[in-house]
Amino acid sequence: MNKRASLGWTVIGALAALLLAAMWVAPLLWAMSTALRPEHETVSAVFHWLPQEWTLDAFAKVLAAGNVGRWLFNSALVALLVTVVTMALSLMAAFAFSQLRFRGRTLVFALTMLAFLVPFEALLVPLFRMMNQLGLINSYAGIVLPQVVAPVVIYVFKQFFDAIPADFREAAVMDGAGPLRILWSVYLPVSGNIVWAMAIVTFIGAWNNFLWPFIIVTSNDMMTIPLGLTQTYDAFGVRYAQLMAAALLGALPVALAYVVFQRRVTHGFLAATGLKG
Amino acid sequence: MASVRLTGITKQYEGNPVLKGIDLDIADGEFVVLVGPSGCGKSTLLRIVAGLEDVGAGTVEIGGAVCNEVEPAKRGIAMVFQSYALYPHMTVAENMGFALKLAGVPRAEIEERVARAAEILQIGHLLARRPKALSGGQRQRVAIGRAIVRKPEVFLFDEPLSNLDAALRGQTRVELARLHADLKATMIYVTHDQVEAMTLGQKIVVLNGGIVEQVGTPIELYERPANMFVAGFLGSPRMNFLPGALAGEQDVVAHVRLSGGTQVDVAADASSAAPGGAVTLGVRPEHLRVLADGEGGGIPATIALVEYLGDSVIVHAQANGVPEMIAVKCRADDGAWHAGARVRLGFDPGHGHLFDADGAALPRVPQAR
Repeated sequence: MNKRASLGWTVIGALAALLLAAMWVAPLLWAMSTALRPEHETVSAVFHWLPQEWTLDAFAKVLAAGNVGRWLFNSALVALLVTVVTMALSLMAAFAFSQLRFRGRTLVFALTMLAFLVPFEALLVPLFRMMNQLGLINSYAGIVLPQVVAPVVIYVFKQFFDAIPADFREAAVMDGAGPLRILWSVYLPVSGNIVWAMAIVTFIGAWNNFLWPFIIVTSNDMMTIPLGLTQTYDAFGVRYAQLMAAALLGALPVALAYVVFQRRVTHGFLAATGLKG
Repeated sequence: MASVRLTGITKQYEGNPVLKGIDLDIADGEFVVLVGPSGCGKSTLLRIVAGLEDVGAGTVEIGGAVCNEVEPAKRGIAMVFQSYALYPHMTVAENMGFALKLAGVPRAEIEERVARAAEILQIGHLLARRPKALSGGQRQRVAIGRAIVRKPEVFLFDEPLSNLDAALRGQTRVELARLHADLKATMIYVTHDQVEAMTLGQKIVVLNGGIVEQVGTPIELYERPANMFVAGFLGSPRMNFLPGALAGEQDVVAHVRLSGGTQVDVAADASSAAPGGAVTLGVRPEHLRVLADGEGGGIPATIALVEYLGDSVIVHAQANGVPEMIAVKCRADDGAWHAGARVRLGFDPGHGHLFDADGAALPRVPQAR
């Protein structure tokens, strides 16, 4: 391919990427713009990309009224608990499936992967009944527990562990380490990047989860931020600036976390795919 | 240090026998090499001693105690893996001290033992480094150091030199031999390299297809191989095998008529072989010589290839009735040969080996050195 044709394709590719990026980021920019303008501007007949009058009034009102602070705390706690418990359980399960030999191992692994095929929505009623029987409605445990089973995370970890040379485990066995010690001292440090990647993805998923908290929580004080936003809508009516402000406040912690840990996520996914990057 | 005794060791993988009743005694402080081709079961046997594989049948005794059901870490052994298996996220010091840390040894003592082992292996300047910052030879020494700090009863080595280049392999072989002399430790060493086996082992165990072909010192195995497999496995170039038939015997000299028609004499006791029965003559390349024009007898052959090795020359010749080429190892200044030349090959009857139809060696007559 000659240089001119190559340059042409590069320009086309760049323009396409810019277009896709613009489509992706446009709603976010619009939300930010809406949150930074006075309420009356949000229903103006004249369209402006940028606020005519810049103000933080919407943010102030959201933080003063409603229960946003509590909802943020709930989201953070739930997401953190889901992440920690999911990682712990998934790592142990993946290690068992990958490195331990026990009767029925293949069957149990197959059943675990089959669970991946069942949509969460199909489990809503039985899970709700179970949490109700356990007295966990409107509790952190009730919100967290059904979210900690993640077959896809187990699968990713198992594949990664399978690729780690067995010599490491055998050397640790010769050194006197038991299975948990081998997982903690050898496999976990070696798998650092992929664990970070799965943890961040799990955290974001738990933070943004609306459906299960919507089912299990009825108390305003126990709501997470995605659930709380619907209350905000009801409380404020059609207050678009405050609605966007609340949505941005809810998304901000996760966005910041991703920015901070972005490199670990990238390295983790590269490690999972085997690419050097 | 401790002795190791293996009795009736049998192992199968999915119905395929890998070890078929291995009996072996390893004395306290002995350096024993398990050698054999790929798939012979040597690594499996080592892993059974280590406790990394379950025994199908038989017993493993270390220091007089049966260890079949004992966990690897409690057998008093340490293992050096082929891949070194150094934990990549730990420093050299942490790698070497990991087992002691798990055993609850006080930190001060861990540091002291690690420092001492590092001094023996001259890796004290590497203690703060991670494995990826080490060369192959350095990693090898760290792996050995990790074994030394545990002060085991028995050291196990699973082809530890196979990942090193030829020069480093030779150098590390010397260091291992010196280590054995210093520690006076019981060592079981697995390799497929017969040079390592011959140079390191006080006793060599030749394995083939899950059975022990022969156990003995390097000299015993080289000069008195029990069968054609051992004879052909040890020595480079390998022993030449010439098919023939027993034409007769007189005193302790067997007369062999080779398939090409030549009759040669071998100093061997062929009384157990049937007259006229099929036998195989074995002669090592260094014991064959190209006869001069004035000398009589010899095996007629045509030179096919000449390999110059610097101080020596390997002449490959084709003889009638011998399916493979005969290798003759000569000094480089013994003569000039070229492909296509017709020659006659001779040997001293005392250097010949005779094998019966089943490949078992017939007793050789001891030669004066």
